[in-house]
Amino acid sequence: MIPSNMDVEMANTCVDGLMASDPESCLKTIVQIKNAVIGNNKQKNYVINEGAIPRLLQWLIDADVAIGLRTQSAVVLGSLAKGTEENIQSLVEAGSIPALLKGLCNSDLKFIEACLRCLRTIYLTSRPPVDLLYQDATIVPHLINIISKSACTQECIASILANCCKVRDHQDVLFRNGIVAALAPLLSSSIYKVKMPTLKCFAVLCYQNEEVAMAIATATYNGQAIPSLLVRLLARDETSEMQMAAAKCLTFLCRGGAISPQENNIALKTLPTLVRMCKKDRTLEENVEGAEMLAYLTEVDAELQKVASISDHIIKTLAEYLKYTDVQQISTRSTSKLRKELNWSNELRQAAFRGFASLAANDEDIRKKIIQTDNLFDHVVNGMNSSDVKVQVAAVRCLHSLSRSVQQLRTTFQDHAVWKPLIELIQQGPEEVLAVASSTLCNLLLEFSPESREMTGKNKPILEAGAINILVGLTNSTDAALRLNGIWGLMNMAFQAEQTVKTQIVESLGPEQLFRLLSDPHPNVLMKTLGLLRNLLSYKPHIDTIMNIYGTQIMQAVVFILEGDHSVEIKEQTLCILTNVADGEQAKDCIMGNEDVLKKLMSYMVHTNVKLQIAATFCISNLVWNEEGAYNRQAKLKEMGIQKLLQQLLSTSDTTLFEKVKKALHQFS
Amino acid sequence: MNFTTDKQEEITRNEWLSRLHNIHITRADMNKLIMNYLVTEGFKEAAEKFKIESGVQPSMDLDELDDRIKIRDSIQNGKIQEAISLVNNLHPELLDNDRYLYFHLQQQHMIELIREKNIEDALLYAQTHLAERGEENPEILSEMERTLALLAFEEPENSPFGELLHPSQRQKVASELNAAILEVDATPKLANLVKLLLWSQEELDKKKIKYPKMNRFADGIIEEPK
Repeated sequence: MIPSNMDVEMANTCVDGLMASDPESCLKTIVQIKNAVIGNNKQKNYVINEGAIPRLLQWLIDADVAIGLRTQSAVVLGSLAKGTEENIQSLVEAGSIPALLKGLCNSDLKFIEACLRCLRTIYLTSRPPVDLLYQDATIVPHLINIISKSACTQECIASILANCCKVRDHQDVLFRNGIVAALAPLLSSSIYKVKMPTLKCFAVLCYQNEEVAMAIATATYNGQAIPSLLVRLLARDETSEMQMAAAKCLTFLCRGGAISPQENNIALKTLPTLVRMCKKDRTLEENVEGAEMLAYLTEVDAELQKVASISDHIIKTLAEYLKYTDVQQISTRSTSKLRKELNWSNELRQAAFRGFASLAANDEDIRKKIIQTDNLFDHVVNGMNSSDVKVQVAAVRCLHSLSRSVQQLRTTFQDHAVWKPLIELIQQGPEEVLAVASSTLCNLLLEFSPESREMTGKNKPILEAGAINILVGLTNSTDAALRLNGIWGLMNMAFQAEQTVKTQIVESLGPEQLFRLLSDPHPNVLMKTLGLLRNLLSYKPHIDTIMNIYGTQIMQAVVFILEGDHSVEIKEQTLCILTNVADGEQAKDCIMGNEDVLKKLMSYMVHTNVKLQIAATFCISNLVWNEEGAYNRQAKLKEMGIQKLLQQLLSTSDTTLFEKVKKALHQFS
Repeated sequence: MNFTTDKQEEITRNEWLSRLHNIHITRADMNKLIMNYLVTEGFKEAAEKFKIESGVQPSMDLDELDDRIKIRDSIQNGKIQEAISLVNNLHPELLDNDRYLYFHLQQQHMIELIREKNIEDALLYAQTHLAERGEENPEILSEMERTLALLAFEEPENSPFGELLHPSQRQKVASELNAAILEVDATPKLANLVKLLLWSQEELDKKKIKYPKMNRFADGIIEEPK
């Protein structure tokens, strides 16, 4: 019987009643408190301030208290959690979570459900106390064990776990405890509120985790593979929210290597769904998430990029994103508590940039189409100057993809002087942009063209802006990716550059730093450093000048690397440096005067790897080339038996090597 | 652009009706529609009788309707706090999650107090409960003002806001609560069909197209195009 004129007015008088010893009146009081606090934040605050939480927790964990009272306690705690973030903080600090988790071991379903609902509310906040769930190794298996008990346990546990899977360790713990098999049936649930958190959970489980992705992609329920169950949820008669969540799962499975990008489920189902989410008739939130997911799905697959770029005018659609300005809209989907003002203009811009970055990663035609977007470069430059880091990073990523096009580098990039904001970003921007911004700078410094002398002129402003010092600064970074970009940029800059540029590079870098880089633990950094040396040591007068100053150190480094345990590519590159050195005039003496190096060359001439044979022979060929002083050099090499070695090499089956050998022998007079 | 506008095809009432007759809707489908209405609206007895009469199986166990019926009855009898207490018992998160719905229940409680001429309690309730609601959400301020305005009239029933005291207001709140409990869009399918018809006719009117129009839904009579 419910008292019709029950006093739900104020909980004030009630809190005292909680201290009563008579269970009957306690239950009465707690029901009154419940009706007062539900839907009323003021009352929640009041009850918390009066110290009700510890008393409620006492009942919650006391096995001697009637289960009805314990359940009501959990319900009241659950309602308190529906107040402000501070209220939740109070609950967590009072130790509610271990108490509620302990409650899950009870056999009374109503009680378990009340505990779970409260836990779910707490774990849905922006900063959930995730670690508490993994502290005791029995909790996760128990949660997974009771998941199927009721619609409420399914919904709550899936939500809790979806919010408690933040790092790889969490993914692995959940996976080891059989979460995939436990969640699979819920995908076919008829209850929307069960399916949604299940999808979210699947997504966070397989994100960047190949093992779990594979397990999910190959799991079945009722004879149906999970990917097919997911694809069914992409159907247009499902809500946008559900289509999006299912597409996200499939995207993560694909990126996790568990489903091939070319499979119909991805190329013909997931991709079009994401493209659909970018359309104008969807909410801004869906637009943003759709574009971000599309960017992630297509990021590393050229074929998907091609398909996406011709899907339903996606480039035009994304270009529209850039036109929104000052759009403030309250997020539609999140609950009132998580509602926050977002700058939708920024959200949309960064989503579009990321979309463009992925689409333009490989294909020249796609890049052209994207660049034709109205004022794209102005938008990108604006984005780079944004105060929002997300926008900055996305804008630079977009620029980076477009900068892979030689043609665009020579035209659009020059017209818009994008190097200016780029250099500013590298110098003053946030750390997040450094890697991609410096990588873009490397591309800008590329000079492939035959008219490269002229290009140097175009690179001049970049040089004057202090690019060399910036790049040298990067080579000092503790982050290998930044060191790589730094040395890479210098290498590109040195390619067919004027003597002054080369000297600047050498002076700015300094011999010590150069040789530190030559012993860098990352092979890529070493490779690019060798590349830099090789580019510096080209064009006879340059070779002599540089060898004149650094000859000793360079020869030391070369010997060091040739003796070290390195890949064929690195050794080949090193031999090429010697070849360049041998192309100088006085510089030749650096090799001729070093028997150690000459013996090394001889050994590489008979190496099992033909590439190294060719490189060593090429070097010898330069040494014996008929020019000033050739007679003496030829005599010395003959004496060492190199001519004989060359004659033996004439029997090689490799045509390139044969040509090089013939050419070298031809020089001997 | 197309400058030669096609002459609009005009459809006479008779032609329209004959076209309608060609569309065959099975009795079973009609019955399902009715059963859906009875079940979602919580008319248990009618649903039971209709089940016997038509042989249509309801989409859920009719006993599950009992709780919702109890809640609906409380509201229709003006016992709002009893309804709130019942809801909190059966669906403890509902009114915390949907504060707008909770406001409507509180507003209804206020209306009931005014109906009983319990002005003192009404004022107290407004101060302690509704005032805060207005602070939380400015959107509901106007709704609140309309309710409070009832207090200003000698005979609130005859005031411009008298409709709030009409039984249909209770019905409205009861349906809103019922729908929230059912979670999904719990509008009966029948109501959605009527809405669709209204919308389509409105679209046609906007485009100034002549067509046989249904103006009186209660009789379902279709009139000649005007």
